[in-house]
Amino acid sequence: MGLENLHDFLTDYFTANQCDITENNNGKLSVQLTAEMDEILMNRPFYWQYVKTLGYPGEPMGITFITNPDRRDEEGEWIHFGSPRLHQIFNTLISQGKFTKIYQQIAPTQRTALVPWLVINSKISYTGKHKKDEIKSIGLQLINGAMITHIMDELDAMTLQSSIPDFCYTITPLIRPKSGYLRIIQYIESYLQNYDHSWAEESWRYLEEEQKLLEHFYKNTNEDDEYKNQMTQELVAIENRFKPQISIEVVNGGIFYLSQKSSNKLTGKN
Amino acid sequence: MNIQLNRDQEFIDELDTKLENEGSFSSWDLFRMSYRSALATTNPDFKGLSAPKRLPHVNFLQHQLDCAQQVVEEMNGRGLLADEVGLGKTIEAGLVLKEYMIRGLVKKALILVPASLVNQWVNELSQKFYIPAISQRRRPVWDQQNIVVTSIDTAKRPPHRDIILKQEYDFVLIDEAHKLKNHKTKNYEFVRSLKKKYCLLLTATPVQNKLIDIFNLVSILKPGHLGNYEDFTDLFGKDRKNLFNDAHLKQLIQKVMVRNRREDTGIDWTKRNVETIWIDFTPEEQSAYQELSRISKESPNFSSITYTRELCSSREACYLSLRKLLSQDREISNRADYDNLMKQIEQLPHHAKAHKVIELIENTDEKFIIFTEYRASQLYLQWYLQQHGISSVPFRGGFKRGKKDWMRQLFENHAQVLIATEAGGEGINLQFCNNMINYDLPWNPMRLEQRIGRIHRFGQESDVNIYNFAIRDTMEEHVLNLLYEKIKLFERVVGNLDAILSELDINDVESEIETIFNESKTDGEVKIKLDNLSSVISFAQDNQTEEDFNGTRESS
Repeated sequence: MGLENLHDFLTDYFTANQCDITENNNGKLSVQLTAEMDEILMNRPFYWQYVKTLGYPGEPMGITFITNPDRRDEEGEWIHFGSPRLHQIFNTLISQGKFTKIYQQIAPTQRTALVPWLVINSKISYTGKHKKDEIKSIGLQLINGAMITHIMDELDAMTLQSSIPDFCYTITPLIRPKSGYLRIIQYIESYLQNYDHSWAEESWRYLEEEQKLLEHFYKNTNEDDEYKNQMTQELVAIENRFKPQISIEVVNGGIFYLSQKSSNKLTGKN
Repeated sequence: MNIQLNRDQEFIDELDTKLENEGSFSSWDLFRMSYRSALATTNPDFKGLSAPKRLPHVNFLQHQLDCAQQVVEEMNGRGLLADEVGLGKTIEAGLVLKEYMIRGLVKKALILVPASLVNQWVNELSQKFYIPAISQRRRPVWDQQNIVVTSIDTAKRPPHRDIILKQEYDFVLIDEAHKLKNHKTKNYEFVRSLKKKYCLLLTATPVQNKLIDIFNLVSILKPGHLGNYEDFTDLFGKDRKNLFNDAHLKQLIQKVMVRNRREDTGIDWTKRNVETIWIDFTPEEQSAYQELSRISKESPNFSSITYTRELCSSREACYLSLRKLLSQDREISNRADYDNLMKQIEQLPHHAKAHKVIELIENTDEKFIIFTEYRASQLYLQWYLQQHGISSVPFRGGFKRGKKDWMRQLFENHAQVLIATEAGGEGINLQFCNNMINYDLPWNPMRLEQRIGRIHRFGQESDVNIYNFAIRDTMEEHVLNLLYEKIKLFERVVGNLDAILSELDINDVESEIETIFNESKTDGEVKIKLDNLSSVISFAQDNQTEEDFNGTRESS
């Protein structure tokens, strides 16, 4: 799962957002927010509007989190999976971490080419009578079209940075990102073609059953316009509740420039 | 297989634009964390509840978790939650709503509850479930994506009504849904015409009088599940008892209803100790009481029974009412007697019951709730307690919501005693207190049940002590002995009394008893009539207990 260690996650989050960590021990984390993070997290728009109007610098707040449930009665904000604060942070990450262009950190001694990859992390939602999600992390090499799944796990093992390393240059993609994206979607769709869709069959069955009950309910009244409207509305409600659908939504993605060696290793593995 | 497929059309265009224009990109750290938070918030299974994992601060009971799961998995989000009082229907409903919100299936919800409970629902949803619910008052927010709590009376009133009926709700909840049982009412029609995906109806009494009640409730959730009106009456008739006797009907109902009973939950409910405290009037009080009974019989009017009741509560309550009576410009044959009685009351010592209150409370630090029927007695008691160094706060139904919450807090943190009048009995939970004095008994057993329910409910950790005050040789003795003892109200843990009373066509026990007192010539006559009334109630009670639903969870 994504969050084995909430404490480290938060430390990383605030560090990545340039906030100073003022205390960090045994499940207690104190952070001095930057003005930007204060505006995002502390929900005091009037203060910031006022400060800006007057041209003052503003004083960002400090905040203490308790991640160790045994210490939840101590001063500070108990934060846990499910707490509104954590989900507020998740929400900020949706936009903060959506698009990227990243380079592998290497230290070559001579001019070295970096190979472009398109990485797309997507969430597939299956909605019918019930709902579930699945995350697919797919990378496509934009020169030879090689595709691999679970690419995030591989990238996790590399060191990556936002600027191009010295002595490196990037190879221009032969496959445009947009075409690459379409290939990835095609891949997901063929994956879905072969998927067990008994959940959708069951949803359709329920939908039809409830429709029949409804039609029977209004059987003797279907001359009346008023009842007709009622029935139409109920039919819509049944469709909304049961009609199976699948959505593919991109969580985040971007272009990754990796060394030839790493690229070969990735495709070789596949 | 026909499955609609929705693709993401925007992402790649945005990425392309950023790449072309050298836009800003997120760092690897933020990118990676964003991916991880998506993983963490993913629900990889169709089945099971993910809500409890996110609410580690709440201890859910097994029957509550089972109920929520059954509603989501088997009833597909449309169900009747009909647990007995005090088992946590609100919690079950909150779990269902939370589950759907987590899974992204509910964004916009309408929660219709009695006006007196709006705040409590909002608090519970936000504190227990982290659901940012809004209570709807003046500022209209109907058309936004949110979770709104309001009363059905507000919602069905113009201009709200038309706006609300245009909204498409993902989730609609109706608390106290038994009020919808009649399909000809405006409330029923209003709820039926709401556009809704998921829908929960909450009631402790799903069938009150007529078998058709349940048909009407189920027809909101799943029209046709019980056939149409003609099928239903042809098949199952009109007899309420068929709900328990007809196996087929029972089975159908179980598909849309969850009903837990206390004994099914396997929880150790704390005990309810009930003690009657008999109190003797002082000789002065007794003679005033007899004088009052005599003269009010001579010039009977419809309030005379009230004056004697009031004298059993406090001098002040009775005195104020008598003064009001005498100040009216009208013919009272024995006005002089009343005037003398007033003087006699002025001379009375402190009330025998008030003494008893001090005796009970004085030597303990435990918190007490005192219920009285009269404002004047409430004020008197507050003053009298203060004279004895006992801190108390008043509580009345007429208090604004904020003041109610504040008084509750004062009571929890500072005062030893809360003195409530009857109207304060509903919609406030005081389970941190486990002692209750019924300073005077209401004549309606339902109201007593509600009073006790304020403290003897889920969350109460200690045994509950209920002290019922009654003065010997007064009307209080009759009511206690003949009504309450006989219907064993104090021993039963939970009441289905309202159902019984409405079946007996007794809408108002209180006025029934008043009539008995007013129209009887002698004490003996009062006793016989009260006795008859209680016999009827307790007979209906025994019948009802036998035929209540058994094992409604069989289906799951």
